[in-house]
Amino acid sequence: MKTKYIIAIILIAVAIGTIISMYGDSSTYVDFKTAVTNSDRDYHVIGTLNKEKPMEYNPEKNANLFSFYMLDSLGYEMKVLYHNTKPQDFERSEKIVIVGRALSAQEFEATQVLLKCPSKYTEGQKPGEN
Amino acid sequence: MQEIIFQGEHLLPGNLGHLAIVLAFASSLFSTISFFIASRQKSDPLWSKAAVTSFYIHALSVLTIVASLFYIIHSHYYEYQYAWQHSSSDLPWYYMISCFWEGQEGSFLLWIFWHAVLGLILLFKAKDWKNPVMGVISLCQIALTSMLIGVKILGYKLGSSPFDLVRVVNESGPLFNQPDYLTRIKDGNGLNPLLQNYWMVIHPPTLFFGFACTIVPFAYAIAALIQKRYNEWVKPALPWALIGVMVLGTGIIMGGFWAYESLSFGGYWAWDPVENASLIPWLILIGAVHVMLIHKSTGSSLHFAYLMVILTFVLVLYATFLTRSGILGNSSVHSFTDLGMSGQLLVFLFMFIILSVILMAKEWKKIPSLAAEENIYSRDFWMFIGALVLIISSFQVLLTTSIPVINKIAGSNMAPPTDPVAHYNKWQLPFAIIIALLTGMGQLLKFKKSDPKKFWKDNAIAAGIALALSGILFLGFELNNWLYFILLFASVYTIVVNTQKAWPFINGKLKVAGASVAHIGFGLMLIGVLVSSANKNVISRNETNVAFFDGNDAKTMKENYENIYLEKGKPVKMQNYRVTYLGDSSHWVNNYYKVKYEELDPSGKVVNEFMLHPNGQSNPKMGFIANPDTRHYLSRDIFTYVSSVPSKERRAEEEFINEKYHSIKIGDTIQTNNGTVLLEGIESDLDTTKISATNVNVKVKALLKIITLDKTYQAKPVYAIENNGIVSIEEIVEEAGLRFRFMKINPESGTIEIQTAERTPHKQFIIMKAIVFPYINFLWGGTIVMIIGFLLSIKRRISELRRSNIA
Repeated sequence: MKTKYIIAIILIAVAIGTIISMYGDSSTYVDFKTAVTNSDRDYHVIGTLNKEKPMEYNPEKNANLFSFYMLDSLGYEMKVLYHNTKPQDFERSEKIVIVGRALSAQEFEATQVLLKCPSKYTEGQKPGEN
Repeated sequence: MQEIIFQGEHLLPGNLGHLAIVLAFASSLFSTISFFIASRQKSDPLWSKAAVTSFYIHALSVLTIVASLFYIIHSHYYEYQYAWQHSSSDLPWYYMISCFWEGQEGSFLLWIFWHAVLGLILLFKAKDWKNPVMGVISLCQIALTSMLIGVKILGYKLGSSPFDLVRVVNESGPLFNQPDYLTRIKDGNGLNPLLQNYWMVIHPPTLFFGFACTIVPFAYAIAALIQKRYNEWVKPALPWALIGVMVLGTGIIMGGFWAYESLSFGGYWAWDPVENASLIPWLILIGAVHVMLIHKSTGSSLHFAYLMVILTFVLVLYATFLTRSGILGNSSVHSFTDLGMSGQLLVFLFMFIILSVILMAKEWKKIPSLAAEENIYSRDFWMFIGALVLIISSFQVLLTTSIPVINKIAGSNMAPPTDPVAHYNKWQLPFAIIIALLTGMGQLLKFKKSDPKKFWKDNAIAAGIALALSGILFLGFELNNWLYFILLFASVYTIVVNTQKAWPFINGKLKVAGASVAHIGFGLMLIGVLVSSANKNVISRNETNVAFFDGNDAKTMKENYENIYLEKGKPVKMQNYRVTYLGDSSHWVNNYYKVKYEELDPSGKVVNEFMLHPNGQSNPKMGFIANPDTRHYLSRDIFTYVSSVPSKERRAEEEFINEKYHSIKIGDTIQTNNGTVLLEGIESDLDTTKISATNVNVKVKALLKIITLDKTYQAKPVYAIENNGIVSIEEIVEEAGLRFRFMKINPESGTIEIQTAERTPHKQFIIMKAIVFPYINFLWGGTIVMIIGFLLSIKRRISELRRSNIA
């Protein structure tokens, strides 16, 4: 009977460990202000592209730098640097989710850029439109 | 209001399909009721007969639904929403099969279809278990077919039909008031380009067949509880559980192979929630198989076997809920979009949870339990531990994958880990080590009781061999992390032990050693995963661009720079390769980029040369979709994809400037900012047949050679007199950024006049990423060995079952 209890205790300990690690490793959806005040950790920020301001991508000079201006849900704007290629059809994205951390009050470095295109998969377009 | 008569619609297949759905639903309802009644009163065979007939009708209806839907897609009947949304006329036939399951309705249909097939087999094979087992399967079919009904009941839309018409779904569209609307719909929306891959033709049916198989052991367990035949079910359910493990595992790996071959995330596994959703029940199912084996050999752990088999099926339903309710939303790239069925999916999930919980609670005390002797020198003890580790492993994946669900329930605001791969690997790597050690160790022990001395002796020999081998491999693979060494050792250990076990049966009786063969495959897979991911090497790191960075970027340039800029015709060195982008060709909707690879030795000599053709599709809806190309070698794969190409639209905005006129003779040159232009000659073709007094047709071409810094180009601007009017046809050399017009001929001075204009040269380039995966063949090879092992085990368990049926 003794072994059974030891196993049970180990099992529960590991399970608790996975729960703690899930909380610890999970990120949070925040706005830019929070990301700026806690610039030492990674966050998810949801926002929209500011189409008035320029997007910069100059592959001949640097194929791994793309920058754009994004507005978060509260209207706070930051310049986002993304060290990768410019995602195709970026202009058409309706909603952007960026993952990364703030470099300063104006600049945010994204390690991932996820796009929610209105047309992704099958939504959006109506038959006969083309 | 007058009824509009629409023209050109093909309503027959749709109506037939609708009818078949209703019939499939009704017949599964009737089957369920009559199978359960039949399972209670054994004396009257009438109910059983009625149930069987009803299930035949059900299976026939399902087949009709499938046939109708495929006929609609194949005939391009775009009056149907499903065909319009998921297919287009230019698709080859084999991708039309993929269209079938691109949408939710079609993939439900696929699942229903496999259940129907399994049901038909069980009608013959389940013998005295037939009634209750088929009852459970029919019950599940009620839930599944209800997802296809698509009828509003009391304001709630039950399911979503694949036979809905475009004009009904988009009722408000102005187009759909017109009787001839169909003539305006020229083509369908098309198949998602990511799914245009042959692996997507076979991966979903395999995966769904795996999912479908999990219902059989579940149905046996429930049947056993209902009929109070508490321990007879394990034997007949075991082969099915094994088939489930094999098929679902194959399906998961196929998905990984699809991701590797056709997605550009650079690997076969990304811990995406949708991938995880199929892994979670699979891990539990493997545990279930082992617990069933424990029970079969020792008579203990019956409660545990029930729980595992039930949990597997419940997790399959949970996976369905995760991927189809739209709850994953932001966290997965390829979950389905919400069709408004989350409520129905939850009912489906809880229906089976509640049914199982009630039955288990009611019968718990009556399930025979054998006070197991806890002998740590027994195989069953360690198999039991292994099953627990699998549960914890599955639980960890489940937990993090369920973050969106936790948010919904607890109202929290968690986002998935920013580095999911590191997060999952941190847990799953140690679990893999333990499982690998157990699959080796367990095989050295006997069920119930073994001789400790013999065990330690065998173990010492196996561990010694494994230690030596893994040491050599560790150095050979150039690994550098002690945890990797432990995993490598554990994998080699299980391969050594299981090879020892399987060896005596190598000729003829290998059937008995199915488990060992499967474990060897598992060990090989682990090695493949370990080496290919630990030493995965992005070789396209851009070293030439470094000088361009300003100070601010310097700190972040560590490892992000994984894409390389390749200008057409200009070789670029990346690590020990020299790559050159040679040009494009297009085939169907895809653009193929021809890239030459030259492998260099340290002195810079070319030792190996090959071509890769990564392709891309500029999809009107989804933008540029890259499709990698991979060079396979025995010891490594070189994986390449184009991450970006210059956009064509940009050019329209840029005007040609600096227009200049030059009077030149043959042999003269013109200097432009973009290069030197040489007039090599003049070519005229005088069409004598068309000459008349009023209509003189003359065409003269200037042969120009443009010499830029690194290349030469040709241009032939045309000067023509047609119908007595003068025409200058311009010629643009995009890559040199030059435009030429042949303005006039001056016969008196023997010169011609050329107009030049310039703009920034439009260079042809691609941005490419290249990764080397070493020894990934261990993974694919191991998978095949594992599948063979499962096949052997299945064969063994089926013949065991046959023997016991005869006896």
